[in-house]
Amino acid sequence: MKVEDVFSSRIRMKILRILNRMGELNVSDIARRLGINYETTSQHLKILEDEGILQHKVFGRIRLFRFNDHSPKAKAIQNLIEVWEQTEKKTP
Amino acid sequence: MHILFEVSQMSQYRSVFRDETKLDINYVPHRLPHRDRELRLLMEFFSFALQAPDRMAQRVLVTGDVGTGKTALSQRFGADITREAVKRAVNLRYVHVNCREYRGSLFLILQHVVSTFHPNFPKRGYSAEELLRTLMQILDEEDAHVILTLDEFDSLVEREGSEAVYKLTRLQETRQNKPQRLSLICILRNLNAISQLDPSTRSTLQSNIINLEKYSDPQLNDILNDRVTLAYKPATVPEETISLIAELARSENGNARFGIELLWRAGKYANAENLETVTPECARKAVSSIIPTIRKADLTMLGLHEKLFLLGTARLFKQTQKVSVTLTEAEQAYTIICEEHNTKPNTHTQLWKYLQSLTNAGIIKTEVTTATGSRGRTTHIQLPTIPAHELEKELTVILEKQET
Repeated sequence: MKVEDVFSSRIRMKILRILNRMGELNVSDIARRLGINYETTSQHLKILEDEGILQHKVFGRIRLFRFNDHSPKAKAIQNLIEVWEQTEKKTP
Repeated sequence: MHILFEVSQMSQYRSVFRDETKLDINYVPHRLPHRDRELRLLMEFFSFALQAPDRMAQRVLVTGDVGTGKTALSQRFGADITREAVKRAVNLRYVHVNCREYRGSLFLILQHVVSTFHPNFPKRGYSAEELLRTLMQILDEEDAHVILTLDEFDSLVEREGSEAVYKLTRLQETRQNKPQRLSLICILRNLNAISQLDPSTRSTLQSNIINLEKYSDPQLNDILNDRVTLAYKPATVPEETISLIAELARSENGNARFGIELLWRAGKYANAENLETVTPECARKAVSSIIPTIRKADLTMLGLHEKLFLLGTARLFKQTQKVSVTLTEAEQAYTIICEEHNTKPNTHTQLWKYLQSLTNAGIIKTEVTTATGSRGRTTHIQLPTIPAHELEKELTVILEKQET
């Protein structure tokens, strides 16, 4: 998937921002925070995971998603979000 | 003008304290006077956790009356052993849980343990068994070991019975050939609390018992002296004040926690009166201000809604000056308190549970009466030994602290 395709989705960007802030979350919690349904959230998470940006761990019925510790793409995105949010805070 | 006056007052403010947080009930001192032997014994019981953590798991009971240092001993041990584990590159976590704070629920206790590894682990949607399996999976994956201290263990036994304790102690039997991961320290006042467990569960627990004797006068003196050095400026607490507080703590069954709380309050009285030293009179004032049969620590342990319910009840007693109030009246008062605290009130059934736990803790007394010629039953609540205004004051302070 091309970079513009990954970043073109408002929901995916929100997922990335939420996970950057919270560290890790399960699918239901992400869906609740986004105000969208479980299925749609799962689909977006899958796209981000297929791109190697996110990773998940399974505990019984629970899947916890987080940024992929070993992915340079994940690190770059986290860096981008942090810089962006810091700049926004400074701008009046 | 008014602000200027306050600022000028503040600039004149002086305090006898150097660091009053050293008198907080949650502070764990580096040195525990007169508990060296017990600390060494705990270290001995858990020496395997540093040398061969995979091969063994341990269960230890720590017993002793209120204020004999059970919690402080375990927490000191926890801090010491984890520091040692870091040096030896052993992934060992010490997790201290007050079971009463989690209403004695195995599920909530395990959730707390899991949250130390995964802070955002979902709060619902699975059972205690699944949670226990999850915990073991996490420990296996991270090659970690946990020493779990179950403080106020009786609360867990009371709510969950043998089953929960059995699950925790016999965990390894279902994990054959896998490394041992979970050790337990169970803290309780005396062994009567576990008499209701079935014999096999009891036998898995009772092999290692550390009993903490009540502190004597000189021992309490030493403890208080240590805390004075940590918390007060030099030469602000005379020897006679320390002796008086030690004596008062001794009369409270050798309760060191009570003595430390008194030491803090006495300092507050000294500051309020702008004194340079904490006089014995400050200690006397402090003791008369402490609620007779219930300590701040007991109130702190209550859940948010238990506190709100109790606060509503205390206000009701203060306003009405009645000997007893009905549950319906208390429920109305609780609803108002919830509004003040922007919290949705819990249901009547939940309030009934709070009523039971507050009765069990000895804070309130309840009586159910049936009116003649009527079918309904009325629950009457009494505050037998606690002045309502004192209780209201304490709870307001605790809730403010909690909210900030």
